[in-house]
Amino acid sequence: MLSRVAASFYWLSRYIERSDGMLRMLKINYASSQDAVQEFTWKPVIRIFAGHDEYSEALEDSSREVLKFMVTGKINANSILNIITLARENARSVQEHIPKDLWQCLNEYYHTVKDPRLEKALQREDPIGLLDILIKQVMLYYGTIEITMERGEGRSFMNIGKYLERAIQSVDILDTKFGSVGDNPDLLTDTSYWKHLLLSLGGYELYLKTYREGFEAANILEQVVLNNDFPRSVIYSVNNIQRYFDRLKSDSNIDTFREMSFQIGRLQSRIKYSSVKTIEQEGLHSFLTQIRKELYGIGNALNEYYFANS
Amino acid sequence: MSESAYFDKYNPINGVWDEMYGPEALVRDHYRKVIEYISGESADDLNKKEELAKRLFMSQGITFTVYNSGEGIEKIFPFDIIPRIITASEWAFVEKGIKQRLTALNLFLKDVYHNQFIINDGIVPIDIIYSCPHFLREMHHLQVPYDIYVHISGIDLIRDHDGTFYVLEDNLRTPSGVSYMLENREITKRLFPDLLPQCGVRSVTEYPTILYKNLLALSPRQIHNPTIVLLSPGIYNSAYFEHTTLARLMGVELVEGRDLVVNNHKVYMKTTTGLQQVDVIYRRVDDEFLDPLVFNPASMLGVAGIMGAYRKGNVAIVNATGTGVADDKAVYTYVPDMIRYYLNEEPILKNVPTHQLGHADEREHVFKNINNMVIKKTNGSGGYGMLMGHAATEQEIDEYKIEVMKDPRNFIAQPTISLSAAPCYMQGELKPRRVDLRPYALYGPDGIEIVPGGLTRVALKEGSLVVNSSQGGGSKDTWVLAP
Repeated sequence: MLSRVAASFYWLSRYIERSDGMLRMLKINYASSQDAVQEFTWKPVIRIFAGHDEYSEALEDSSREVLKFMVTGKINANSILNIITLARENARSVQEHIPKDLWQCLNEYYHTVKDPRLEKALQREDPIGLLDILIKQVMLYYGTIEITMERGEGRSFMNIGKYLERAIQSVDILDTKFGSVGDNPDLLTDTSYWKHLLLSLGGYELYLKTYREGFEAANILEQVVLNNDFPRSVIYSVNNIQRYFDRLKSDSNIDTFREMSFQIGRLQSRIKYSSVKTIEQEGLHSFLTQIRKELYGIGNALNEYYFANS
Repeated sequence: MSESAYFDKYNPINGVWDEMYGPEALVRDHYRKVIEYISGESADDLNKKEELAKRLFMSQGITFTVYNSGEGIEKIFPFDIIPRIITASEWAFVEKGIKQRLTALNLFLKDVYHNQFIINDGIVPIDIIYSCPHFLREMHHLQVPYDIYVHISGIDLIRDHDGTFYVLEDNLRTPSGVSYMLENREITKRLFPDLLPQCGVRSVTEYPTILYKNLLALSPRQIHNPTIVLLSPGIYNSAYFEHTTLARLMGVELVEGRDLVVNNHKVYMKTTTGLQQVDVIYRRVDDEFLDPLVFNPASMLGVAGIMGAYRKGNVAIVNATGTGVADDKAVYTYVPDMIRYYLNEEPILKNVPTHQLGHADEREHVFKNINNMVIKKTNGSGGYGMLMGHAATEQEIDEYKIEVMKDPRNFIAQPTISLSAAPCYMQGELKPRRVDLRPYALYGPDGIEIVPGGLTRVALKEGSLVVNSSQGGGSKDTWVLAP
């Protein structure tokens, strides 16, 4: 497979996964903003998905303004509109490698986001309904891949991109959410705070089934970092990076393969042989910072060894 | 006799060949079934079909992106739902004519880059060749596989007031539009269910198969699975959709210049498992940008060293470089002579009478009759830089004359040919609009094959004679009927 094509698969997949995480986060946060029992703020969401705190000031925590900025905002490089445009450009440049159905599905997603009616509707209509329409586009995308995509190298690069993005997202979300607790210890015992965190990661039901004693920060940490069965946990994502990376093994690139395999294995072990206790001893923030660095390192190694961008 | 409401309201243009409207105000036989079919549809139904066509183009991404103020806007190439129909006998004539013309043009290219008999025998003047910007000295004595230079051509045909076919231009470099021939047909199948088999329309779907077969045959390495690639300038190119369509339909790799690298006179592509040798390149990048070491040094679209690999015979390039000397509009004048010279045959397809402005007497004649002339650049394309004498203002004409005088060799003039008209569906009515025809000929080791069909371009503006998409043109599905 062409290096450029592999890179496009990888980025296409990262952008779509990012849009999925973002849309779910926006939806749950909007719902939570309607439960105005506590003081609600959009700042963590903006920090996680747009990166710059300066935007938060300008948006003044107005839900409609934040939604506009995050979904159809042109100046926000990480708005759904901008990342789907990039995803589509990547898909366009590998059109002959993806099933026609998948291309049409992405193209439709793009046209839905691009439609000026969406921006208008976000100002007036029910945002949850609108975000659901977009979330369905992503589900359609994953379903189409499941049914039509060849199980080859291309899909391996897609999956590596998807799980890398997901792991980074979960790490960022934990870091931000637990960071806020440091600033405001009251949150530690605020059940709706933790409930919304779990809902936005789609892990609420699993949590209820696993833990009977209500919302405890330590349990949430355990589920999001260490639970092998939780599809958005860091360990689940890293296991899958390893699984799909293994499929890239071939005789002609054995040296670089070994090097990266080592890198991924080290990260995997680091998480696997941690427990809530050791993480707390080390300090959550420093643990997450370390994991994030390793995840970025994998991205850089792919770029150098597989995408010919050295 | 009343044919149908749509037909009764149709006003053919005076003195213009109409593809549908026959003598004695009757529908020509080959259009009859289509007219009957649409007569059963209300204007509402037809509007819906038009909408459906637009939606299909959009949702399938058959679009090109126009970049405006930093934002990409997706546009579709305008499509008229009424097909353009060609009878079996018209097609047989066109097919024979194109094969003859292409055979001669290919022999000319071989000759001009080797022994130059045609120049020595005084048939084509030497200055016309050497002053042509697309004549490449780099091609001298370069051996191309099977002596084929023009593997893919899209010769543009038009019809005069009496229906005679003329060749307007020979597109022998990297003709585009074939994906629209294929996609327009797919859309028509959806718009008019069951109508195609009822009318006996010949299929165009063989095109990618034939092209692939020809590309495969050119591989310099005798191995069972040579690497064939389609070289595209990238996603910002307006024909990018076509590049992906063809790559997908043939199952070949779509590459950009940055994916390729030359080492020891061999071309490789960069893959996730190392370098892989490339055998055949169907390139959609112009000569000028193909190799920065040989041509334009600023080119980012090409591959450094590719011409060296080509000269060594380690890679086949399709179409060969340097074919532009044969579709130069000044050389065009000599094509009938080439046919007589190389084949000892009379040309089947006529040339449009052409004046070379490089000759002082012809220039004077053209300037005197400028209102009946079309003046073009010899190396222009896409309908840019043309002067339509009948529609231009005094000032435009004067400015154009100044432009011509700077280098008259670069201009030719042709009398305004009135292009035939075909019915188009516009706001509930059928209206005549001017059309041309571009069939795609594939030249492989087994000979020339022309898929029965082509691209019909149509000037959608009333009264316009320019069919280029850059000038407000659209396209139609093109039906060739079985005998």
